[in-house]
Amino acid sequence: MTDEGRLKALMLRGLAGDAQAHAALLSAMSGYLRGYFSRRLGAGAADAEDLVQDTLLAIHLKRGTYDPAQPFTPWAYAMARYKLLDHFRRVGVRKSVPLEDAGDLFAAENPEEGAVRRDLGKLLDQLPGRQRQLVRDVKLTGLSMEEAAAKSDMSVTAVKVSVHRGMKAMARRVRDEDQ
Amino acid sequence: MKTNELIAALAADAQPVAPSALRRRLALASLIAVTAGVALVLVWLHMRPDIHFAMRTAAFWIKAGYTASLAACGFALTLRMGRPGVKPGGALAAAPIAFAALAVLAAGELLLTPKGLRLHDWLGTSWQVCPFLILALSAPAFAAAIWALRGMAPTRLGRAGAAAGLLGGGVGATVYGLHCQEMTAAFVVTWYSLGVFAAVAIGALLGPRLLRW
Repeated sequence: MTDEGRLKALMLRGLAGDAQAHAALLSAMSGYLRGYFSRRLGAGAADAEDLVQDTLLAIHLKRGTYDPAQPFTPWAYAMARYKLLDHFRRVGVRKSVPLEDAGDLFAAENPEEGAVRRDLGKLLDQLPGRQRQLVRDVKLTGLSMEEAAAKSDMSVTAVKVSVHRGMKAMARRVRDEDQ
Repeated sequence: MKTNELIAALAADAQPVAPSALRRRLALASLIAVTAGVALVLVWLHMRPDIHFAMRTAAFWIKAGYTASLAACGFALTLRMGRPGVKPGGALAAAPIAFAALAVLAAGELLLTPKGLRLHDWLGTSWQVCPFLILALSAPAFAAAIWALRGMAPTRLGRAGAAAGLLGGGVGATVYGLHCQEMTAAFVVTWYSLGVFAAVAIGALLGPRLLRW
């Protein structure tokens, strides 16, 4: 089921007085909110958890403003964005938060995935320029060896060798770090 | 407090919520405000003496219909702006459409009026006070809308304030019609609209101050 369908079902049951569904909604939302606020405030922001709690409280107290005829995720996103802007105003930062669609809050980026992506970036950065580009093209973007060869004006064999060496170098680096 | 503890505490407080509660709150507040507005007209400005005659004319009802449609539009927009993530939607177009329709009527009316009388048709005898009196009479319904919004969760405070201003101005202009004896569409579309527009602008300015939560 999509986020929208699952969360909306929980919200509707919570509005009808189902405490269990309400708790499930709030804990699901706390995960999304934590991700959203820490992405927006930068890593290690102590304020992020305060904002999570603040927004959960608002979701609870203001749940009567949710119109069951409307989708749930834009409602929750507008609430989170308001709390974020309010936070910026209180700490005296003049910062605008572009009005995005609710997908911004419900982006499927949990902290672990983010860390993996960062580590991969670090490893790639240690490869020499052309090799890094080839690994990126073939392993991340998903180009075929032939396409990557045409793009970088190299022979297919040379690309294969280069990508293979790049992958080995990265694997070696990971092993070294783990020890 | 840990977030998990907060969630448990909030879930324990999961009373059922009626979906129509907000609409009822705004409707009740508006009704009280309309009553207050009528009372203000009666004791302060006084009812136009020819009201019984006027009520049999189309011009009276066109004027009342125009201002009431602005108020209805303000009502719908206030309700929508009080709900996070809800766009203004079709209600936003209703006010300009009503204005444009009356403007067309006014243009036709002026064309049929002899040249020398057109200016009088447009300015009437009260154009200098009309917008200000409407603005003053918009106060009760504006306050009612702000009160209702404070029980909701507006996230675009300027827009929510403007919607409250439209509700206030629409109600103010409608009750002012009980006093005002001007009957031309050209007068109403200009000076009534100006008063309502002033209420919208003031609402937009005050929104961020009054509606923060």
